[in-house]
Amino acid sequence: MKVRHDTLARAIEEQEQRLRNCVHCGFCLPACPTYRRLGDEADSPRGRLYLMQAVVEGRLDAGSDAFQTHIGRCLSCRACEPVCPSGVEYGHLLELARQLGGNARRPALLERLLLRVFGTDWLARPAMLAGRLLRATGLPALVTRALSGRRTLRQRGRSGGGVKEPRLLARAAGGARLGLAMLAASAPPPPLSRSNGAGRSNGRTATAAGSAPVVPPGAATVGLLTGCVQAGLFSRVNEATARVLTANGYRVVPVAAQGCCGALHAHGGDLEAARDMARRNVGAFEAAKVDFLAMNASGCGAAMASYGSLLAQDETMGQRAHRLAQRVRDVSQLLADHGPVRGAPVPLRVTYDAPCHLLHAQGVADPPTAVLESVPELEVVPLAGAAECCGGAGIYGLTHPGLGSWIGSDKVHSVLDTGADALVTGNPGCMMQIGAGLALAGSRIPVVHLVELVDESYRRAGLYRGRAP
Amino acid sequence: MIPATLAKSLVRICGQGAVIVDEDRLLVYESDALTAYRHRPGAVVLPRTTAEVRDAVTAIARHGLPIVPRGAGTGLSGGAVALDGAVVVGTARMNRILEIDAANRRAVLQPGVINAELSAAARPHGLYYAPDPSSQTACTIGGNVAENSGGPHCLKYGVTSRYVTGLTIVLPDGSVVKLGGQGREAPGYDLVGLFVGSEGCFGIATEIEVGLLPLPEGVRTLLGIFDRIEDAGRAVSDIVSAGLLPAAMEIIDGPTIRAVEASVFAAGYPTDAEAALVIEFDGVEAGLDGEAGRAARFCVRAGAREVRSARDEDERLALWKGRKKAFGAMGRIAPDLLVQDATVPRTTLPSILKGISEIGKRYDLVVANVFHAGDGNLHPNILFDRRDEDELERVERASKEIMQLCVDSGGTITGEHGVGLDKKHHMPLIYGPAELEAMWGVRRVFDPAGTMNPGKVLPDETAPGWPGIGGRGRPGVGGVDGRGRCDAVRTATAAMALSGLLPESQVLTGETASEWTGGMAVEAVLFPADADEVQAVVRVANETGTPLLPAGNGSWLGAGGWTDGGGVVVSTARLDSVLHYEPADLTLTAEAGIGWRKLAAVLRPNGQWLPVDAPGVGAGTLGGVASCGVSGPLKARYGAVRDNVLGLEVVTGDGRVLRIGGRVVKNVAGYDLVRLFTGSRGSLGVITRVSVRLFPRPEADVTMLFEGGVGEALEVARVVRTTSLPVAAAEMVVRAAGAGDRVAHVAVRVLGGREEADDVCSRLVAEIGAAPGGTVRGGEGEDFHRQRTAWEGRSPLVVRLAALPDRLAVTMRWGREVAGRTRGEVAADVLGGVVRVAGSPAGDGVAELAGTLTRARREMEAVGGTMTLSQAPRELAAGVGWTGGGGGGEGLALKLKSLFDPRSVLGSRCP
Repeated sequence: MKVRHDTLARAIEEQEQRLRNCVHCGFCLPACPTYRRLGDEADSPRGRLYLMQAVVEGRLDAGSDAFQTHIGRCLSCRACEPVCPSGVEYGHLLELARQLGGNARRPALLERLLLRVFGTDWLARPAMLAGRLLRATGLPALVTRALSGRRTLRQRGRSGGGVKEPRLLARAAGGARLGLAMLAASAPPPPLSRSNGAGRSNGRTATAAGSAPVVPPGAATVGLLTGCVQAGLFSRVNEATARVLTANGYRVVPVAAQGCCGALHAHGGDLEAARDMARRNVGAFEAAKVDFLAMNASGCGAAMASYGSLLAQDETMGQRAHRLAQRVRDVSQLLADHGPVRGAPVPLRVTYDAPCHLLHAQGVADPPTAVLESVPELEVVPLAGAAECCGGAGIYGLTHPGLGSWIGSDKVHSVLDTGADALVTGNPGCMMQIGAGLALAGSRIPVVHLVELVDESYRRAGLYRGRAP
Repeated sequence: MIPATLAKSLVRICGQGAVIVDEDRLLVYESDALTAYRHRPGAVVLPRTTAEVRDAVTAIARHGLPIVPRGAGTGLSGGAVALDGAVVVGTARMNRILEIDAANRRAVLQPGVINAELSAAARPHGLYYAPDPSSQTACTIGGNVAENSGGPHCLKYGVTSRYVTGLTIVLPDGSVVKLGGQGREAPGYDLVGLFVGSEGCFGIATEIEVGLLPLPEGVRTLLGIFDRIEDAGRAVSDIVSAGLLPAAMEIIDGPTIRAVEASVFAAGYPTDAEAALVIEFDGVEAGLDGEAGRAARFCVRAGAREVRSARDEDERLALWKGRKKAFGAMGRIAPDLLVQDATVPRTTLPSILKGISEIGKRYDLVVANVFHAGDGNLHPNILFDRRDEDELERVERASKEIMQLCVDSGGTITGEHGVGLDKKHHMPLIYGPAELEAMWGVRRVFDPAGTMNPGKVLPDETAPGWPGIGGRGRPGVGGVDGRGRCDAVRTATAAMALSGLLPESQVLTGETASEWTGGMAVEAVLFPADADEVQAVVRVANETGTPLLPAGNGSWLGAGGWTDGGGVVVSTARLDSVLHYEPADLTLTAEAGIGWRKLAAVLRPNGQWLPVDAPGVGAGTLGGVASCGVSGPLKARYGAVRDNVLGLEVVTGDGRVLRIGGRVVKNVAGYDLVRLFTGSRGSLGVITRVSVRLFPRPEADVTMLFEGGVGEALEVARVVRTTSLPVAAAEMVVRAAGAGDRVAHVAVRVLGGREEADDVCSRLVAEIGAAPGGTVRGGEGEDFHRQRTAWEGRSPLVVRLAALPDRLAVTMRWGREVAGRTRGEVAADVLGGVVRVAGSPAGDGVAELAGTLTRARREMEAVGGTMTLSQAPRELAAGVGWTGGGGGGEGLALKLKSLFDPRSVLGSRCP
């Protein structure tokens, strides 16, 4: 993970150009989850940009505590980008800053370990298998339930007039607890039903759309990124995505030789590893000759959509990556573009939490709402703070348990305030983070992926009848 | 670096994560949104409560270190930059809204609450917070208080100081003072108004009470596209001259349009245009289309290429977003940006714009203009690249020339961004040594040790005692008992010495003097003809120790509590000329002694007025109104007197002539001494000249009268108080008992366009559920209000009871209780919650009356209100006390008194 010298020089040069766009107006401050809670300028996007600028100017060492702490504490939710009138590309700058930071000081063991596992097939597969096996024992769910209602890290953290990250032992215990809860939260949800029993299905099913659509000739071809965590723990979401897209007239083709998208590595500042993964995926998806790359994990979607800039300096791959990145679509976009086909009623009250990397990083705001509105009898209630990060942020919950659970707990409270029967979102990290938070708070509100809901509606409508799922 | 012991104490007070001492981490606090100034603070502390601020400030003060308050760091004048290793006290964690009191349309909050989030929280109650600086999504209310922030909509609604009604402040020595508060008529100077805009030099506001407004029912937004910016400027002047009062009028010039359109906030302005004029009207639906249509026609007539109107809320917001984010969008077209902020008289806009563009050309710089055209508040933005040193120097020279150009046209150096670090050296452009010295004096009253945000606002070299000036210091404050007891030697000889200063025709003595005062015994009445003569009189009075009573035409001599008689009256009645009146600017400057009726006669032909309906105002003078600072019920619609006084010339109690404020509607240069003197009732100086903000006289002025018993009237009052319809003023009057069952009435005044007023009246009648007993239209209504209200100048006894408006029934009950003893009339400002009782104390019942008054005060204070004697015979006042317990800041008031009147020559007590 040694950064070559020319890359570093280029990174600095690149930063200088982009950093100068910041006019220091401060409009980003209220959008930042860490600034809102900590109130320290250094924990705001403007403050972090200032620290980066200081490093570029040679006034600050990238290995300094200040740089490491505050750059490290960013969730990379990119909520600061849409509110920036100067168009500062914060997400990209952060990745470069983390690269500088990681070069100056080795990241923590846990972080390195996790990134290594995700990025390496022969490590990821057995790890995911182990996770599934452990999940299947029901032990994580049991432990989560037993631990629910305990005084949370957030409460402990806040009493000190700020956030105090717990000491090593408590941290390990907290991490294990969160890890188990997250694993439990990745399990398939129980059959969806109204918690209050009201509004049962009236038995009416969509008849017009009731027959399975035949994929028309000339239909758009899509390749699905199966992902690492998604494939490992959420294979049902991948399957649902394929079914739902097919039902909407897309030709879903397999993409062999694809791998992890590299998002976590890029966020962590290991840009070289991220580039290697990007190169592999560019080749794989090009070979599959698809019109669109379908994403059902918004973190991966955002990463792949920026393959162009990630590989901009790559002479052989740069242009190809750029062209490919333009064809990246979130599954909600693909569905919204095609209607979507209406299924049977799903009489539920749900609320939607917008994944940061869908809303802020990719600017996809309306399609998920449009898809939800297309489901008959589905009541969607607004979620206060839906645009704010849930605190999942990749492996943030494990690297910053105190702050992560504070942010997560605020999300859990606003979900509970809605009185919804289920929470809908569109990213595995968010699903596990919020699911774990809800379970630890003693709630049984399920967290489902948007396509799972659509899939359920189609299943009830009999759209899949007579077809292999 | 701060001493380790201090760091330790701060951690003990605020917690581990709330204290930052690491040099690297402090880097990010080097500057605010004006990055030209960078100084690393010694430490940063982030308290959560008033108590934490108090303890932290005390600890820092003990080490003698300077303190800099900081909100969100969105300021554009370098005001939050920490010089000399100062400790930054940040309010980011003090972000709780403590109370939204929808019934009384007010909120109490911590200073770190974000402006836009206050409005968002008030929205479910049908209310919002009016001042809307362009950074409202990020800036804090505490910062707004420090800067007296404006915003596009202050054209119609006024700036921050109009909405700040109460403050809890931590002074630089760590003491906590509560000032003002709604529902209280706190005695003393307008310290809240003085604190607002003090740029963190007077202390830290830790709790802020603000007034909220009902959300307007309808909004119409227009966009005029112009090929020449002068044409847009002319459209603005034409609209104002025609008597239209839009909520906002904003001009964005060509370079800015192109920057905004290139940003993520593209609002769809044509990029080849040279000016875009945004005009917004709000209010009830009825009549809005008519107003917008008229404004659109003015745009076309001035040469607009096209006029668009926002078809829905989304379009409206997009249009505003582009305007509000213009500053940030500049980052798209140049790496560095200097934002200027100056206010000029509106009518000079076209020539100023031309001048600015010429300056830009001469220095080969791009100047992009964004401005609040309705207020004449300009923001020329100079684009540059700081790496180009030659360009940097040209920027500085051009900036200074632009500033000078604005000042020369009668403008000021800052309309809303503040002076801070950036403009302190421009202060001498608009203020002389006397004014700067006075501002230093006021600053020292709050901050004797000079540790609060030092190096800001006032140029150091103008400070008293600055090396090289020779310590031309003021007499020490606080040493003198400032309360204006009439303890000076009052001799006829001294009076004669004073009389000798003026020609005989300007002096009244003996019987003619008592005749003029209406029976009050005085040595003489002097009528100086200019400020110099006033100054001469005041100086001799100081030398001879003669008590002076400043007056206008003597219609309310008791206003300052001068009930002893004796001394010499200084009347400004001969100072009665209009000095400057440009109707299209909506401002006027006149000598203080101009009679209210004469003033009205000057304004009427132009369809303008100064909307003050305080009792007895018609008999008074402009200076008297400013000095007394008493507002009537119209305050609800137009703001209080203090909100519309723009500038003053005063001769202070120690004979200095100060010209403070200006004649432009937005001015935040220096401390707001205008607010200190307005309402000071002659206890600090003699006002000789007044500049005011005027308003177009509305097309329709309708007053509806609802009569009935007291209970019925209170019910009408309740409806009027809680309706979201725009009621301009409402007054409830209860006549002396025994006049049958129709003893009470509520007069409800509606102002606006004809269509609007008719609509509001008919809807009000429907809400009240009863037809009015009578309706008065036009100017008659004004007279009607003046006649009906209890007036201090005419009655030997006037009692004021105040509480929050939703307590009106209680306030009214005690008002009637008092009236029962005085055979007086009771009048209530329904929207303000103030009840006045006028009458005469019954000869033999004084003891009972005193008892009733004392009980009324106790009861009013029990509901958080006040009872004050506005006018009373001496013996009664002595027994009851003019005011109740300390309104907060009494010590500060006394120090201010002794700063401006060290020898207590001005006989008035502190009001």
